Amino acid sequence: MKDLAVRLAALDADAGAALRVIAYFDGLAENKAGLQAIVRGAAVLAGCPARLDDRSRRVRVRVDPAGRAAPDPSAADERWMGMAVVPDASAILWLERIGEPGPVEAMILERAAGAARAVLDRTRGRAPAEDPALVELIVDASASPEVRRQAATSMRLSESDRFRAAALPTGPQVFPAEATPGIAGRPGPGPAAASPGLPASPATPRAGIGPAVAPLDLPASYAAARIALRFAADGTAEDPGPKVVRHEDLGGLALLADLPDSADVPDLRALEHAAAAGPWVLSTLHAFAEASSLRAAATASRLHHSSFQDRIAQAEHLLGWPIRDPHGRLRLQLALALRRLRRHPST
Amino acid sequence: MTTTLPPPPFDPELGAALTALADLIPPSLDADLLAAMRSGAALALPTEEDLRRGGTFQVEERVVPGLSGDPDITLLICTPTAPTGALGCVYHTHGGGMVLGDRRIGVVEMLDWAEQYNLVVVSVEYRLAPETPHPGPIDDCYAGLLWTAEHADELGFDRSRMILAGGSAGGGLAAALALRARDQNGPDLLGQMLIYPMLDDRNDTPSARQMAGLGIWDRNANEFGWTALLGEARGGPDVSPYAAPARATDLADLPPAFIDVGSAETFRDEDVAYASRIWQAGGRAELHVWPGGFHGFDGLAPTAQLSHDAREARVRWLNRLFNG
Repeated sequence: MKDLAVRLAALDADAGAALRVIAYFDGLAENKAGLQAIVRGAAVLAGCPARLDDRSRRVRVRVDPAGRAAPDPSAADERWMGMAVVPDASAILWLERIGEPGPVEAMILERAAGAARAVLDRTRGRAPAEDPALVELIVDASASPEVRRQAATSMRLSESDRFRAAALPTGPQVFPAEATPGIAGRPGPGPAAASPGLPASPATPRAGIGPAVAPLDLPASYAAARIALRFAADGTAEDPGPKVVRHEDLGGLALLADLPDSADVPDLRALEHAAAAGPWVLSTLHAFAEASSLRAAATASRLHHSSFQDRIAQAEHLLGWPIRDPHGRLRLQLALALRRLRRHPST
Repeated sequence: MTTTLPPPPFDPELGAALTALADLIPPSLDADLLAAMRSGAALALPTEEDLRRGGTFQVEERVVPGLSGDPDITLLICTPTAPTGALGCVYHTHGGGMVLGDRRIGVVEMLDWAEQYNLVVVSVEYRLAPETPHPGPIDDCYAGLLWTAEHADELGFDRSRMILAGGSAGGGLAAALALRARDQNGPDLLGQMLIYPMLDDRNDTPSARQMAGLGIWDRNANEFGWTALLGEARGGPDVSPYAAPARATDLADLPPAFIDVGSAETFRDEDVAYASRIWQAGGRAELHVWPGGFHGFDGLAPTAQLSHDAREARVRWLNRLFNG
């Protein structure tokens, strides 16, 4: 009975839309649908073109909102809504729409990226670099260069190419340098580009990314990645911040990682004291520290400018130092960085 | 039949769409559900503005006589305002299981064809079962067809370029119109587009049994629709081919038929059989069985790959018919 049901294409942001999005992508996964169907689902449900760019596997899929394949050789716009399909962000699912994803868009991104990840794992095989034993070897500084050279050969890592090591809570990964690691799927220069409003998928693990190096220098890249991992946040209310951090974006902040965990830092104590006052304190301070202006921080926190300003004043009172001047702001950023280091000790 | 046949799987995208909309589209139908569906929430009808397409079509409604003694019927007529060639006509009978819907259901796809092939779209408002049992609905459709053919000059189309089209129950009505026009010296027809047509009141094919309780318009819903139309006579020995075209013993000398159907729907086997019997009678038919398609899949999930493919196949057939 054609036309007798509400069309899938007519889905909008009603109360049930998010549930339908979940059911749709679960259905695709259950029926073992392919990448084209998943990207099509994202495009149709979001009502804008969607694309999957997987640089490491050289897969490019782009579909328009009518569900038709619409290849486009141009690069993705980094202002689009995106989500990493794999932790190293070498594969990203994009909705070609600029701005912060709303709840339905965030749900589409998360579910489509999850479904695409399952397909990539199932059909394309894991990239050679994901063999855990070989990866452990090639980033191991104590392994002899000869052993690491053999590992590079087995992983088909060419000596003339550049690679990055990534440190995840579960262990190391290696991926091609041209794959741009991003924050919750959004490629960007690092912590400063973190977008507080971008919902990070709970499925996206914390990660630190090392510099691009030749295969035999991967132990150094991994050492840097492990430091960067300590600056990566859980992305939760207790630990706000970017889930993916590149070591080269840390600059001098990286030196803080050398501090002994027992070092007494009064500003850190003050920050913990302020954080204990309520869950809004950390999120407010984080938003303020990361944003380019008070107004931008208010927008990112989805608060009115004046209410946000009230919160800042209250937070300053709790901290015991002003944060609206450059020096106070630097103290705040350092305290936040130190707090993250304490939460994520070196292992 | 004591064994249960496993159903063919749904196409992945279509299965996902069904899952996502499961609460909105029960596979079966009964009197209570019918009343709820008629009250309108599930019907996505195009507005007159939609039909005009920004002036591409002139939209009018004509009230024309029913068959002898029957009430007048309304025809929805959409005429291209700037055709690029001689006009033809698609005479449309809407779907809805014989019990649901109105003349605007399914017309949007006809307008796509009309834009491409310079067609006047005429869609008939026939009376529905169970309030009007057989032969009321097909009589209304036939009366509208006769009037349309007789008024070809007034409507501005070339009477040698007229086709029938309909989906689901409308596909069954279109098939019945083709039989009746052949038998009663009715208008010449260039073709019949039977979109997953509802053809067989016996409702006892393997596909009907396999898909019971699954997909859309299952065996139970089908029994409900046919019983509304035929009452006690459903499935018995005395059903007219103008009610259930699968009952026709002679399928020779019919206009070329296009038939499509999903592999995962009640109508699969009766539609495949109808195409086969047309060939066996020396006729012309094109048959598409879309793997994993449920009933009306292209309407429910128009963006799915299989839906695009199915709709493109219809257009390619029209292209051969009108431009071949």
